[in-house]
Amino acid sequence: MIKIRNLVKRFGKLEVLKDISFNVNQKEVVVVIGPSGSGKSTLLRCINLLETFQSGEIEVDGKTVHFTEKEINELRKNVGMVFQHFHLFPHKTVLENLTIAPMKVKNLDKNSANEKATALLKKVGLEDKMYVYPDSLSGGQKQRVAIARALAMEPKIMLFDEPTSALDPEMVGEVLEVMKQLAREGMTMVVVTHEMGFAKEVGDRVVFMDGGYIVEENNPKELFDAPQHKRTQDFLSKVL
Amino acid sequence: MDFRWDIVSEYMPYFLQGAGLTIVFSLVAIFIGTILGLFIGLGRMSEKKIISYIFVWYINFFRGTPIFVQILLIHFGAMPYFMNPVSPAVSLTVALTLNAAAYIAEIFRAGIQSIDKGQMEAARSLGMTKAQTMWHIIIPQAFKRMIPPLGNEFIALLKESSLGAVIAAPELMYWGRAASSAYYRTWEAYLPVAAGYLMLTLTLTYLLTKLEKRFNLS
Repeated sequence: MIKIRNLVKRFGKLEVLKDISFNVNQKEVVVVIGPSGSGKSTLLRCINLLETFQSGEIEVDGKTVHFTEKEINELRKNVGMVFQHFHLFPHKTVLENLTIAPMKVKNLDKNSANEKATALLKKVGLEDKMYVYPDSLSGGQKQRVAIARALAMEPKIMLFDEPTSALDPEMVGEVLEVMKQLAREGMTMVVVTHEMGFAKEVGDRVVFMDGGYIVEENNPKELFDAPQHKRTQDFLSKVL
Repeated sequence: MDFRWDIVSEYMPYFLQGAGLTIVFSLVAIFIGTILGLFIGLGRMSEKKIISYIFVWYINFFRGTPIFVQILLIHFGAMPYFMNPVSPAVSLTVALTLNAAAYIAEIFRAGIQSIDKGQMEAARSLGMTKAQTMWHIIIPQAFKRMIPPLGNEFIALLKESSLGAVIAAPELMYWGRAASSAYYRTWEAYLPVAAGYLMLTLTLTYLLTKLEKRFNLS
């Protein structure tokens, strides 16, 4: 589903991603872990072109992406993104948060957009919050709405950028539960997270990044139980 | 001090008529100036340097020179190319509009830039175009924050319309000057004018407060 070849990304002189290549297969859940500043969020943001990059190639769903406005919008229809800080639209109700993009981008009529949004809210357990504004929701509820909002576009791939890092500890579980359900349904997912439990339980593959490189990737059991590289061992000994 | 009420009552119909025109000139300038200001503000934020530069200098000119000078330049300099004879009322409205647009452009820019970058990213990541995001996501949120500074600008504009008197646009201040020069009296001519402006600005303040409250509720 996603093929990344020799990706290089610089912010000014700082090289954040150094020659990254990796693939994500259909229905695969890839979990990206690593210390802060290792480039994992930047990598994720490159996949749906929220960041430009200096060289390399990204192929999504069989199409190499170029930086034209039209292609970028086309790509993003298929790639959902969930942010650390939710970024719900505060001036719209929960329901409107879910319906605006399908109505504006896919020209869905209001009734079918509402219908689909209602089903998605039911799925994340928030159908009773349909008509409230995001301000009145808890962090965990906000993130579940954000996931539902991305799903409303019926993406083929979902990207999660530290979806639980801004949450109070007691709310992490409800968000991870929704993500697990998505994984069970066969969604292709790339998840940047510090939740090692989630990586072990749900990840088909875990990628460890450090200093702009992919240091090591493996299935979760191998990577957590028998890390090959010193840097992976150091990192895991600190977080586990 | 003897206050000659008879002058006040003689000129009252003119004061009222002038106040009416002050309202008309100001409302037109506010309305067109706001629309123009939105586009100038967006142009000012354009990623294309040349476009941005043009609007920067539009704003520099209209903020950096006295509106008095602008009114004279427009009335005696620019308008004769467009109409003959030149209507002072039109000149004044044009000057107020162009001037207000510059200030409003900056208010728009500040409002739009105050919205969290994440809002743009979230909407774009859903496949919405830049224009759709601006229109449906960013501008509605920015507008709420722009009401107080827009209110200030509208009040300033209403008062600046009094400069129309120097090109004989028949607004409120014009009739104050007329009364003053007819009788050589100051208080009787300008106190009613001052009271008129005060009533207009207080009404505007009241309306803006109501608008702000309504936006805060939703």
